[in-house]
Amino acid sequence: MVTTKDLEAHFEFECKACENGRCAKADVETILSEREGLKEFYEAFKEHIRECKRMTYGQYMFVIDREVLPDAVLWWHNHPEFKETHMSTAVGTDERPLNGHFVYMPFLSVQVEHRNMDRNYWVFLKAYLPADDPSFPSVAAKLPAALWIEREVKDLLGFNPVGHPDPRRLILPEDWPDGVYPLRKDMDYRHSPITEPKTEYRPTPEGTSLVPLGPVHMGVEEPAHFRLFVKGETIVDVDYRGFYSHRGIEKTGEGRLTYNQVLFLAERICGICGYQHSVSYAMAVERLADVEIPDRARYIRTLMLELERIHNHLLWVGIAAHMVGFDTGFMHAWRIREPVMWLVERLTGNRKQYGMNIVGGVRRDILDYRKEEILKVVKEIREGTKKFLDIALNTNTFIKRAEGVGILPYKVAKAYSVLGPTARASGRRIDARLDQATKTAMAYNEVDFKVPVYKEGDVLARVLVRMDELFESLWIVEQLIDQMPGGDIMVPIGDLPEYEEALGFTEAHRGEVVHYVMTGEKNKVYRWKVRAPTYNNLPAIPEMLRGYHVADAPLIIASIDPCYSCTERVQFVDVETGKVKVLTEAEFNELSIKYKGVF
Amino acid sequence: MAEAVSYTEKLKKWDRFEAEKFSKKAPVTTPYPFIDIEKPPEYRGIPHINPEKCIGCGACVNACPPDALIMEWDKEHGIKRLTYNAARCIRCARCIEVCPTGAMEPTTRFEIATDNKEDLVEVVEHKLAYCEECGEYLDFTERQIEYVKAILPKEIFEMYALDERIGLTQEAKMRKTVEKLRETEGIPVSAFMLVGEVKDKKGGEK
Ligand code: SF4
Ligand code: SF4
Repeated sequence: MVTTKDLEAHFEFECKACENGRCAKADVETILSEREGLKEFYEAFKEHIRECKRMTYGQYMFVIDREVLPDAVLWWHNHPEFKETHMSTAVGTDERPLNGHFVYMPFLSVQVEHRNMDRNYWVFLKAYLPADDPSFPSVAAKLPAALWIEREVKDLLGFNPVGHPDPRRLILPEDWPDGVYPLRKDMDYRHSPITEPKTEYRPTPEGTSLVPLGPVHMGVEEPAHFRLFVKGETIVDVDYRGFYSHRGIEKTGEGRLTYNQVLFLAERICGICGYQHSVSYAMAVERLADVEIPDRARYIRTLMLELERIHNHLLWVGIAAHMVGFDTGFMHAWRIREPVMWLVERLTGNRKQYGMNIVGGVRRDILDYRKEEILKVVKEIREGTKKFLDIALNTNTFIKRAEGVGILPYKVAKAYSVLGPTARASGRRIDARLDQATKTAMAYNEVDFKVPVYKEGDVLARVLVRMDELFESLWIVEQLIDQMPGGDIMVPIGDLPEYEEALGFTEAHRGEVVHYVMTGEKNKVYRWKVRAPTYNNLPAIPEMLRGYHVADAPLIIASIDPCYSCTERVQFVDVETGKVKVLTEAEFNELSIKYKGVF
Repeated sequence: MAEAVSYTEKLKKWDRFEAEKFSKKAPVTTPYPFIDIEKPPEYRGIPHINPEKCIGCGACVNACPPDALIMEWDKEHGIKRLTYNAARCIRCARCIEVCPTGAMEPTTRFEIATDNKEDLVEVVEHKLAYCEECGEYLDFTERQIEYVKAILPKEIFEMYALDERIGLTQEAKMRKTVEKLRETEGIPVSAFMLVGEVKDKKGGEK
C-alpha cells in the first residue's frame, strides 16, 4: 500500500483557505484554541496532520494521513470527556479533476456540553487517497457506525476499505456491473448499465430457518428486505438488503442544476421530512456564502420545522398503534394530525413539500391574521393528543406489546451512532437543534424547550420520547408566534466561492439530517452528500431484533420510524430469477395502447 | 340468457363524467378526479402561461428545477417556442417569481389526471425578430425588443443609438460599429474590407 507520506513527496498540497486568510497554517494556535479538544487532538496526531482549518463557524477540518483514519475517528468517538460525540457519517469525493486524488472524509459531531451550541462543533477528518489505489484502513472494523458508509463509498466510488467485516454490495442493484462507479466524475449521470444479476445474501446459519420480511414493510409500506434467521419463534440473526429506491439524487444535483435548483430537489428527497432536508441544504449553502439570513426568516423556518415534527410524530404513533393491532388508536392519531396538514397547506401552499425555502431565507411570509389560526390548531392538537395518550397508554394491548420489546442498550446505540428519538429513548442526551450551531438558519437558540430522554431503550420508551417531544414542539410553536420579529424574509446570496465546503444540519423527527456541500465553478455544486437519520438507525436494527419474536419484528423495525426513501436517495429487478421488469418505452406504449380506455 | 359482459367492458360503458347521476346513486362518494375538490385559496397549483403577456425571455426556463419548461429555437421559420409540461412540474412556483411580465400565472389547479398526454402541455410560440440588414433571425423575440424599448430610459437609448441597432444581428452590429469607427477616426482602410475579412474568417472556420 502506498502511504500518504510517500505521496507527499511528489505532491504539493495547496491550501485554498490561505488565500482568504482563513487558513490555520498561518495561525494554528488561534484556531486550535477556539474550541476545547482541538489542541489535544492536534498534539496526539501531530505527525499525521497536514493541514487544519476552520471551514465555517463551528466546523473544523483536519487533513490527515489515511493510515491513521481509524485511530483518529476512535480518538474522538471514544473521548472520555465528550461523552455524546459520535461519528455522523463520511463523504467520499472524486477530486481527481482538481488535484488528482480521491478524498475520504469521516466527520464527527463533537459534544462538549449538551445544549450548548457555542461550545460544540463538527470535526472533519479528510484523507487524500491516490487515484490508482483508493484504499484506506477500515474504520468499521472497530466502529459499527462506519459499516454502511464504507460499503457505500466502495459501491459508488470504488474505494477499498481494507479490513471491512462485511464488504458486500449495499447500494447498487444486483445487476449493476462491477467496476462501474456512478459517483466518479468521469461517469455521465444518464449512464445506467445492466448485466447478469448476482445475489449476495448471507447463508442461513446452521439450525435456523429463514423468514423473509419484505421486500416491502407491511406497516410503513416502503421497500426494505429483511431476512430473519429464526429458531422456533426467536430471531437469532438478521440480514438486510435495502436501497431498492436509490435514485441517484446526489449525482443529479452535481450534474446539471444550479444551487437554487438543488434546493427543490433536496426537498423532494423525502415526503415526510422534506422541509428538514431543504433547510439543511439551504443552511450549508448560506454558510458557504457567509451570509446571515434575516431573523424573520429564521423564525418562519423554525415554525415550519416544528409543525412538520408535530404531524410526523402523530403519523408515527398512529402507525405504531396499527402495528400492535390497536387500530382505533391509528385512526384517532391520524384524525388529530389532519388539521396540521390543512394548516400548513394554508401557510405554504401545499400539504407537504412546502416549497417555502430559498437559499437566503424563505419565500412566503406568515401573515399576521394566520397567527390565530396556528394557535387554534396548536390548542386543538394539545387537547386531542392528551386524550389520545390517556386512552393509548391505558390500553393493555398497546403497553404489553411495546414494553420491554426491541431493547437497544445505550452502549450499542452509541457505537452505531444511533440518532434522534431512537437514541434518546436509549439514554443518549443528543439533539442537533441545540447541540450544534443551528442559530444561523433557525431560531432554536431563542426559544426554551426540554429535550426528553428515557433510559429504557424499548419500543415504549420510543413512543414516550416522541410524545413528550410533540408537546415541547407545540410549546415552541407558541413561543415562536409570540416572539416573531418583523422585517425582511430573505437576502440575496450572489455568487458562491469556488471549491469551499460546509455542512448544514437539522434535527429531523428521526434524528440529525446532514447535508454536506462542496461548491464547484459557476455556482454549481461539485459534491453534495445527504445523510438521513435512518441511515444511522437502520444498521442497529439487527441488534434490536435479536432474541425477540418474529411477531415483534415489524413493530421493532417501525419503532425507529424508518424512512427508506430518504436513506436511499431506479430499476425494478426480480433478483432471484433475474427477470428484469423494467419496461422499455416501446413495450410500455404497446401496453398503454392495448389497455387504452380500460383504465 | 343474458349476454355476459366482462367487467372491463362494463367500465367503458359506465359514463363517469355525469357527476349528478353519480351523486344520486352514491351520496358520499364523489366522482373524483372529474370534479373539482375543495382547497384553500393559498394552494399552490400548476402554473399557467398567459400567451398575451409572455415575451419569451426564458427567465422561467432558467429557474425551473425539473425542466418542466423548455425553450426551443426554430431559426428557419423564425419561431421561439416555450413549452410547459405539467407532468414534469413540481409546483414550486419559481417560474412565477422570476417572470418579469407576470405572464406566468399561479392557479389553484390540483388535479391533472387525463387520458391524453397532450392535455398536459402548453405551448407558446413567439416570432423572432428579423434583421433587415442581413436577412437572418435574431435570438430575441419581437416582443422582447418591444419590452426593452418600453422599460429602458430614453438617454440610454440615445447614448447607444439603440433605436437603429436593437433589431440587428450581432454581425450587422459589428459592421455598423466599424463603419462608425471609420467615420469618426478616419482610418484610411475601407470598412467594407474589414468586414469582408471577418466574414471570410468565419466561413473558413465553418
Ligand atoms: S412551478 Fe416550478 S416546476 Fe413547475 S414550471 Fe414553474 S418552475 Fe417549473
Ligand atoms: S419568464 Fe415570463 S415572460 Fe419570460 S418566457 Fe417565461 S413566462 Fe414568458
